[in-house]
Amino acid sequence: MNGDARANIAAALLFAGGVLLVAGNAPAWCVVIGLSAVVWRVLTSSGRVARPKPRPGTRFLFGAVTAALVGAVALNFRTLNGLAAGTALLVVMGALKLLESRARRDDAILIGVALFLLLAAALADQALWRAPVYLLAAWGAATAIALVAHGDGMLTTRGALRLSGRTLLMALPLALACFAFFPRIAGHFWALERGSAAATGLTDEMSPGSIGKIANEYTPVFRARFEDALPPRTALYWRGPVLNDFDGFTWRRARSRVYHAEPLRRLGPAYRYHVTLEPTDQPWLFSLDTIDASPRRDMFLSHDRQLTGLGPIMVTTSYDAVSHLETRSDAALSTLGRRYEIRLPPDRNPRALALATELRLRSSSDAQYTRLVLDWFRTHGLEYTLEPGTTSLDSVDTTLFDTRKGFCGHFASAYATLMRAAGVPARVVTGYLGGEWNPIGGYVLVRQSEAHAWTEVWLDGQGWTRIDPTAVVAPERLQRGVFDLLPEAMPATTALFHDNAWLRGAAQVWDNMNQWWQDNVVEFDLRSQFNLMQMLGIDLPDWQHLGWAFALCLVAWIAWVALALRRSVPRRRPDRIARAWLRATRKLERITPRAASEGPLEYARRVGDARPELAGRVAALALRYARLRFGPSADSAEVAALEREVRTLAV
Amino acid sequence: MAYTAHAIAGRWTQKIRRRAATWARRRQGDDRLPVTLHTRRIYILPTRAGFAFAALLSTMLLAGLNYTNSIALLFTFLMAGFALIAMHLCHRNLAGTMVQGVATVDAFAGEHGRLLITLENHADSPRIALEAEIEGAQGEPSRARVSVQTGDSARADIAVPLTRRGRLPLERIRLSTSFPFGLFHAWTWLHLPIFLIAWPVPRGRRDPPPETASGGSTQAVHRAGDEEWAGLREFRDGDSPRQVAWPAYARGRGLLVKTYQSPAAHHRYFDLASVPGDLEQRLEQLASWIVAAHARGERYGLKLDDLEVPADGGNEHRERCLDALALYGGGAP
Repeated sequence: MNGDARANIAAALLFAGGVLLVAGNAPAWCVVIGLSAVVWRVLTSSGRVARPKPRPGTRFLFGAVTAALVGAVALNFRTLNGLAAGTALLVVMGALKLLESRARRDDAILIGVALFLLLAAALADQALWRAPVYLLAAWGAATAIALVAHGDGMLTTRGALRLSGRTLLMALPLALACFAFFPRIAGHFWALERGSAAATGLTDEMSPGSIGKIANEYTPVFRARFEDALPPRTALYWRGPVLNDFDGFTWRRARSRVYHAEPLRRLGPAYRYHVTLEPTDQPWLFSLDTIDASPRRDMFLSHDRQLTGLGPIMVTTSYDAVSHLETRSDAALSTLGRRYEIRLPPDRNPRALALATELRLRSSSDAQYTRLVLDWFRTHGLEYTLEPGTTSLDSVDTTLFDTRKGFCGHFASAYATLMRAAGVPARVVTGYLGGEWNPIGGYVLVRQSEAHAWTEVWLDGQGWTRIDPTAVVAPERLQRGVFDLLPEAMPATTALFHDNAWLRGAAQVWDNMNQWWQDNVVEFDLRSQFNLMQMLGIDLPDWQHLGWAFALCLVAWIAWVALALRRSVPRRRPDRIARAWLRATRKLERITPRAASEGPLEYARRVGDARPELAGRVAALALRYARLRFGPSADSAEVAALEREVRTLAV
Repeated sequence: MAYTAHAIAGRWTQKIRRRAATWARRRQGDDRLPVTLHTRRIYILPTRAGFAFAALLSTMLLAGLNYTNSIALLFTFLMAGFALIAMHLCHRNLAGTMVQGVATVDAFAGEHGRLLITLENHADSPRIALEAEIEGAQGEPSRARVSVQTGDSARADIAVPLTRRGRLPLERIRLSTSFPFGLFHAWTWLHLPIFLIAWPVPRGRRDPPPETASGGSTQAVHRAGDEEWAGLREFRDGDSPRQVAWPAYARGRGLLVKTYQSPAAHHRYFDLASVPGDLEQRLEQLASWIVAAHARGERYGLKLDDLEVPADGGNEHRERCLDALALYGGGAP
């Protein structure tokens, strides 16, 4: 295979690697086109398939295909801007480059495209398992660069691999130093666009069965690492979207701020914890019931103590939160709030409304009424299941009187309806309950399967009080996960991990490694840099310290590289013969300079021409030197004679 | 439009290059062989690919900072370190190379002369893809690529197109490399007083002048053609050291000079004045006669106005005669 073919194939394979890395973020048709172009290029370059001869119409056809593909990308994304569309465009452009030509320069451009794809992949996914893949890709890129530059017989593929591998290994210390000390300028040079990730998890709506759907998934939602004590398992209510509007079937979150948050009195110990939230494409941020305050400036706590981000969570986000498990509000709920939180559609769920009226008449206070309803739930044979069957528009009636089956969402909906029907302010809260304790990492891992819904009821003198009707129907749910209670609902693969202790342990180790990666690498930022500087003994680190540390590392690294790459050139000191001749030339140069390519005898002849009276001596000297230098052997007496001759030579 | 811009940019690059070369010449002075290419005379700049790579890295850095993406930053820093080492590797591929010798092979105008540069590598690793380049008369470069293994030497053989009769100075040899990653280009200039001679093209239809006879002479000249050995004599001032008999000197018999007797023979005399026509055509006619006479093994002499080359034969004589033709009147106008 000649050098050009090797360069072609190296660049094409690197591009293929890039396409595979962004495969999850680019439309499937783009990936297919990109990979097909690579296959075609590899086949033609290696000579397995003959390259078609260019025909007059080819250029036109090529232009048309280019326009069509760019148009297709624009149609697909409705824009050519942004990471996802840009990635797709890069893939398509790279594919066209592969079809079009095979010059050196095009290979170089292809490598550039592939590097951009690697960047796009890194921007989209920073998972731990991808780290070695990115490293391999860097190696491939360096090799391809070498092969494109010097694949023509100067470098073998193996040689290029070894060379670029060594080069990258030497570059690694600098990369780590830069990572640690290169000042992370906070701020956005251009706007981050919304991706198009499929939304998973809790939304701002809850219909019968919607929580159950989420609870089928085993994917992690967030991890929480507690600084001091771990709260009791039964108190791990992770508050998510708060829903206030009910149409008899679906609970929805109010779009606007309706009433002021009531002042809280916090009781008991404070729990401090660090949450690392996976991207959800939803604005909700989860916190332990009840969070004290908004943890960050770009996070908001609404009137109903709902924590939200600025926009949908598109990247892994983390925050430090403080919560109190027990709170109390002494003030009264505002009139507006009270009116708002007891609204019900009047013509829906008539049997439930009737039940509410009956039970409220039997109780003396709101507080007693809440207990009475809970008793009703406990004693009327309600069944906790992930598949409660079909429901009607009067979903609460169906749950309570017909099927008598439900998941947490059904019971929360029913309970809140009964409260509101009796004039007790109530709202539905969705979120997660519990979590898996990872003993290796010391954190709680909360999965989608922990999704839960409960209610909050306003009681004068207590404030908003959490009441979880599911806890009455299926008390074990507080202690254990959904899949422990309803194993038949588990998908097979989930069951494997869930039931096999060894696999479960391995999964926990892996999850812990991921968490470490997330905490210490992915989320390494300016603050972490300052922390690092403090650990290094600088009390009040600022930009300048970082700059100095960075410069210091750079200088040290450059010195190390220079040392490591230094070539040992055996420096030969000129020997006696050479030195004697050098002295002679210096003398003779006063007569005429020696030409660069002139041998000693020739030079002597020219000196002789210029100064005939010296010709004999100089010729003899040159001859003696030539014989010593180029002759078979040189005894020291002869060398001494040469030195004497040079010494006595008078110009 | 783009093409024009490209051309202008190219012209500018050329201009800057010339300037830099002149500056380097002033700075370094003339070289004298053998030359070791020390660090201080090696210049290095990114190639076009290198600049593109730098632009790519800046974009990646901005993106990494913008998205506060640690992995993208790590990747960027890794590739930046890679580029810095690439620079180092490129520089050391050239630095320390020894230029052992430079030789030229003259040729007729319209053919290619050769410039042979012998490079030695005393380092502990090979030097790969060294490029030697000279600028021709019309500014178009000729180059050759060579790799030198550890402790070895190699010769870069540059074919230089010779267009016009006369002397083509090769004052500036450019030794460069972009190995291994093509992101950087390291180079140095060698300034040596060397040149190529373009002989006049041998062509013409005239018959050569008739042969004339002449007596032989004993002279202490370098052995040429079919002269006969005439013995040794004492070295006299004015004798060329080239004719000194080494073996005799080595045996302690003192400085002796070899002498030769040229036999009485026929030879031709080519006189520029005897050929009518345009000067270049006349020179070409003479060249053609010389080539023919040499091929037949004849002895011939040359007369160009007041420059006279006595009749002789052999390769060296042929070259002397052709050189005289080539340099007549300072070369072709």
